[in-house]
Amino acid sequence: MMRDAVRVLVIDDEPAIRALLRGALEPAGYDVIEADNAAQALASAQVQAPHVVLLDLGLPDRDGLDLIAPLRKAGATVLVVSARDATAQKVAALDQGADDYVTKPFDTDEVLARVRTALRHRAGPDVLAAGLRFDDIEIDLDARVVRRAGAEVHLAPKEFALLAELAANAGKVVTHTHLLRTIWGPGHETDVEYLRVAARGIRRKLETDGAAPSRIRNEPGVGYRLAVGMGS
Amino acid sequence: MPPGRRRAPLAGALVSAFGPAREGSSATGWLVSLVLIAVVTAGGETLAAHGNDADISMLYLIPVIYAGTRHGLGTGLATGLVAALAYDFFFVPPLYSLLVADPSHVLSMVILIGTAVVCSQLGGQVRRQARLAQANADRNGAIAGFARLLMGINRREDLWALLAREIARLLDVRTVVLAPDMPGESGRRLVVKAAVPAFDRLDLIDGVAARWAYDTARPTGPGSDAMAVSEWQFIPVLGGNVAHAVFGVGREDARMALTGAQEPLLASLLDQAGLALARIAAEEDMLALGKVQERDRLRAALLSSIGHDLRTPLTTVLGMLRAIRPETARQQAQLDSARGEAERLDRFVANLIDMVRIETGGLERALEPVDLNEAVTAALDDLRRVLGAHPVIVEVARDLPLVMADPVLLHHCLINLVDNAAKHGRADGPVTLRARPAGEGLALAVLDEGPGIVAGEEQRVFGMFTRLEGSDRRGGTGLGLAIVKGFAQAMGMEVAAANRAEGKGAAFTLLIPSENLRQVDGAG
Repeated sequence: MMRDAVRVLVIDDEPAIRALLRGALEPAGYDVIEADNAAQALASAQVQAPHVVLLDLGLPDRDGLDLIAPLRKAGATVLVVSARDATAQKVAALDQGADDYVTKPFDTDEVLARVRTALRHRAGPDVLAAGLRFDDIEIDLDARVVRRAGAEVHLAPKEFALLAELAANAGKVVTHTHLLRTIWGPGHETDVEYLRVAARGIRRKLETDGAAPSRIRNEPGVGYRLAVGMGS
Repeated sequence: MPPGRRRAPLAGALVSAFGPAREGSSATGWLVSLVLIAVVTAGGETLAAHGNDADISMLYLIPVIYAGTRHGLGTGLATGLVAALAYDFFFVPPLYSLLVADPSHVLSMVILIGTAVVCSQLGGQVRRQARLAQANADRNGAIAGFARLLMGINRREDLWALLAREIARLLDVRTVVLAPDMPGESGRRLVVKAAVPAFDRLDLIDGVAARWAYDTARPTGPGSDAMAVSEWQFIPVLGGNVAHAVFGVGREDARMALTGAQEPLLASLLDQAGLALARIAAEEDMLALGKVQERDRLRAALLSSIGHDLRTPLTTVLGMLRAIRPETARQQAQLDSARGEAERLDRFVANLIDMVRIETGGLERALEPVDLNEAVTAALDDLRRVLGAHPVIVEVARDLPLVMADPVLLHHCLINLVDNAAKHGRADGPVTLRARPAGEGLALAVLDEGPGIVAGEEQRVFGMFTRLEGSDRRGGTGLGLAIVKGFAQAMGMEVAAANRAEGKGAAFTLLIPSENLRQVDGAG
């Protein structure tokens, strides 16, 4: 698949940023297409059908958020590149169907990891359907069982549902709103408290050392990310 | 309706019957009364000649009532006396003498005098009330006219000119308005803003009296309890409890400028002027506010532009530096140093933007339940490189209540506190994050093992561009702690800085009040 020229469309009005991304993506085997404005980006998306789009939200001719829907319609997975403090913008982008985001200033390794994760999820959820294994944790989605070092760990139903949802999106950020709607149902989108308590429960049962970086990563104001399978 | 009509209908009717009321006793009144007495006496003689002398005393009521109601007590009483004597002399037996044979005639004479007293009192009351009513009407008319003129004024200078001109006209006095050179600067000297007739300067004594009226917000000059030697009466023009100007009235012949009736009128006019002044001040404030908003808007635009223009090249530089694969340890060290500096620059830009958001009130916050464990982990994650060799000790219990906070603002608070601890702590010394109950709330402290805070600087460290004494060798923007304070306060929290109770080093604490805590039951 890699050699079969995965096309990445880089949309940014700054030539230096495009050059930086090209410099990181091409050695990793991707075909890079560039666009410096919204109109050109939409044209490229139609003609060249990129697999992944790196979209800077601050475009000169149009709000980058408006591009997410048409780009997805053209069959691309959208990764948003956004400023550090633009939390609301990130959430809006994710709500409109962006797959994930990268924060400026970004690490090119991080960008590559995000692209790999996006491509893996493009290949279909069945890759993960059977389950997921990280550290000494094993999540069996079919049997709805979690094992740690081979021994079954009892999770409350909501805790398991949360872990399963994060595992199904392993490596990707999942917004609070999405998690609450999927697990607790419509009408609970703002009950962040439920989510905090469930996440706390999972950590207490699965993680021993409080100081070690947690696998269930909190992205302040945005959502959670199960930090596994990010390609390293 | 004049009040006199209602309170004394009889006297009112009498006054109407005798024509418009005039003031006090007068020679004319006397003369008319005497003529009336003469006429009545002549008429009485005619009646008596026809043998009808029973009610002649009643005829004398005509001059008595006339004099009493129209010309006051003096004339009335005198007319009553003369009428009684005339009656006695011409009609009471023995005739043509002042002797009285029949005591019943004495009663008639007493009635004449009594009527004079009663009528003069009633008439005086009616006249007083009518005069008062007229004065009230004049005063209200003057105030209303003045208020109409004030409505059209929207500059202080116009107000001063109007005050001087209109009050000079209404009260027939000389007027002067004094105010500070610049509005609002009470310390400045008072200058003549307007005067009728026009002049430029006050005498020294008058100037002192005006200043005194301005400073104490009380009248000075003749008739007041201060500076009575001044030629002018000075009355402060108040807006709120503060004098904004001083109004002076005077008279060419240096008599007391105001009559008793004029003083309340002048007070009302100056009250009106005070209200107009308050309105003008409010309008000026609005204008100034507009200018401030415009300035804030420019500043925000400038900063957003700086943010973008600095960050774009920084992103490229950082990206490029991270992409370079060094070949020697020396290159690695150089690269690390370059990256460290570029990252510092990036944090500086971020802090600058945050500070402007605090300063311009552009801080948007959305409180939601946050798990301190998660918040601390996320902050440490972001600061892995900054922390470098500093070991990190996290003492945050897993079963703490959730904290109502804006997750992004809290994240920036923690980043700045940990960054500060790494910067000012002992090289490679541990950085500790510790959550403890504090009263009903929680205290989240970031502790280092550095030199600590100089005594007395505990509050100053949260100021903008403040660096601790002797600690600037590590560099820093001096904004980090100010941002922590601004963000914490936006979330209803407080900050505190102190030296650690145990051992060496500083403790920076985020104080989370109980209102921000959400208890959770342990089970998920």
